[in-house]
Amino acid sequence: MSGSEGAEIVLSAEHLTKRFGEREAVSDVSFDVHAGEVFGFLGPNGAGKTTTIRMLVGLARPDRGRVRIRGLDLSREFRRAMGHVGCIVEAPDLYKYLTGRENLVHFSRMLPDGAAARIPELARLVALSERLDDKVSTYSLGMRQRLGIAQALLGNPDILILDEPANGLDPAGIREIRQLVRHLADERGIAVFVSSHLLSEVEQTCDRVAIIHRGRTLATGPVRELVDRVASDRLRFDARPARLAAEVLAAFGPAETEAGEGEGAVHAKISKERVPDALRALTAAGVDVFAVERSLASLEEVFLEVTGGETV
Amino acid sequence: MRFSGLVENEILKFSRQRRFRVVVLILVALIGLIVFAQSRGRERFLGGKDWHVETQERMARIQNWLRDGRMPESSQRWARFELDRLRYHLDRDINPEAVSGPLFARGFANAASYLLLPLLAIVFASDVVSAEFAQGTIKLLLTRPVGRARVLASKLAALVLAITLTVVFGGAVAYLFGGIAYGYGGWAAPVLTGFRVAGERLDPAAVRSIALWQDLILAYGLAWFAALCVGAIALLTSVLLRSTAAAMGTMLAALIAGTILPRLAPSWEAQKFLFVTNLPLPDYYSGSPPPITGLTVGFGAAVLAAWAVAALAAAFAVFVRRDVLA
Repeated sequence: MSGSEGAEIVLSAEHLTKRFGEREAVSDVSFDVHAGEVFGFLGPNGAGKTTTIRMLVGLARPDRGRVRIRGLDLSREFRRAMGHVGCIVEAPDLYKYLTGRENLVHFSRMLPDGAAARIPELARLVALSERLDDKVSTYSLGMRQRLGIAQALLGNPDILILDEPANGLDPAGIREIRQLVRHLADERGIAVFVSSHLLSEVEQTCDRVAIIHRGRTLATGPVRELVDRVASDRLRFDARPARLAAEVLAAFGPAETEAGEGEGAVHAKISKERVPDALRALTAAGVDVFAVERSLASLEEVFLEVTGGETV
Repeated sequence: MRFSGLVENEILKFSRQRRFRVVVLILVALIGLIVFAQSRGRERFLGGKDWHVETQERMARIQNWLRDGRMPESSQRWARFELDRLRYHLDRDINPEAVSGPLFARGFANAASYLLLPLLAIVFASDVVSAEFAQGTIKLLLTRPVGRARVLASKLAALVLAITLTVVFGGAVAYLFGGIAYGYGGWAAPVLTGFRVAGERLDPAAVRSIALWQDLILAYGLAWFAALCVGAIALLTSVLLRSTAAAMGTMLAALIAGTILPRLAPSWEAQKFLFVTNLPLPDYYSGSPPPITGLTVGFGAAVLAAWAVAALAAAFAVFVRRDVLA
């Protein structure tokens, strides 16, 4: 976890609200993104993530609220504000009939002079140097995603906004993007805003997270803190016989044997102060305990917890 | 981020898409076909008679009429012009009835201004904005530190350039191909211009004679202007509909309606305020009777310009304000 507290606020969403006809797609969404942190924007598909992102980058006007980028009001000082932003909205859509290099040259012409000089360096960073003169139509999705990131970095942005960067990528591709994102935040101090519907993705990449559901932010905070909220009383007992262990532990809190793996593991939710008693009870019942570990809840569980179990 | 860089971008995108090559091919193939077909038809029509004799006979007839003095004043002017024209050709040993390369190019300007050039302008313009939506690249284009009006202005500049090139290229191909069949000379041949239509008759009061090359510049200039105005309107449909197919379909329907409407309902005078009715500016200028009474070059150009300005204003207003959600 990087020390994002106290770091400069690069992007802030203030009470963003967007209505489509009667339906409010985004309601009163607020958050801050600090320099050098990876900020996760987590929610199921259709939660309002992309609509929020469109407001963050000026593609859509909020009905209420405003976006500030390095203190600049996006709706009033669009050009100056967007000079600090690099983004990919929805998908890394680039000109397929142009080569990677031509795409980068194209977008460098929309930036202050000197952006084109950064093309070779950025191509190296996203590992596209060798394919840069091939047409984008011949690129894999992972390569397009990386070219999109190179494009977003052309203007030396303070904030990088990536919409579902893991979408459609294979595990290797996801890992590459994750490493790249961490590198940009840790080494270059860029604030990175990443939206995702994949909880594991956010958990592994992000420092802080905002959870959005049905257009509202349900929780905002450090990823660990949110995880701890539900993880603290979740225990995994490596004990035999498992069924007997589960019966004993049921007296201390909801317990169940681990599905699928058969012998050995029981998951139980037991408050910290009752754990010694539970262990004594297990031993007294003749259960062999090999290990007790705190099971880290995935954000999936966090999500279920904060959304009150609504379907994800 | 200079404006020229943005225009360069648009030109890059124009030139890399297949459309440009298709348009070049269409022009070459179409003009080649017209020249071939026309020259075949003429050979059969003219037969073997010596044109020198024929021309001298015609000049003698006209001189007789003029000496006669019973000819009305207006017709005398026309007769004197015709005499000059025939003498010019005879002096240079050119058949006055023969088509020359430049003359063929002049005819092409008239014919192409109805449908072909507007069509090509539509092919270019209807794609300009909608393609960015279809490719999804509009999201990148409008999240750069460049104002939306500037983005659209750069697209407009590239469109103007593309249409200009198309008109110039069309004229050049018409001259080159026409020259193969009819020879490349005759630039200075006199051409009658300045006809005004008064009621059911041609009013020759303002008729004067200019060189063919001057006439060519005027005709192509008018065709170019008409194509630009169509381009501006097509740009608006591209902005509004955000789909190339829909934009092109709409503009094509308007174009076709415009060519048949004067024939089906010639008495409906209000149609002279439609842009499609005013597209054949070179035709109105050379004095062929307009389909609707009251149409002149000046009026047509004014109507087209009004449409273009309104379309551009609407296109910019919508493009700058509308949310990009697709």
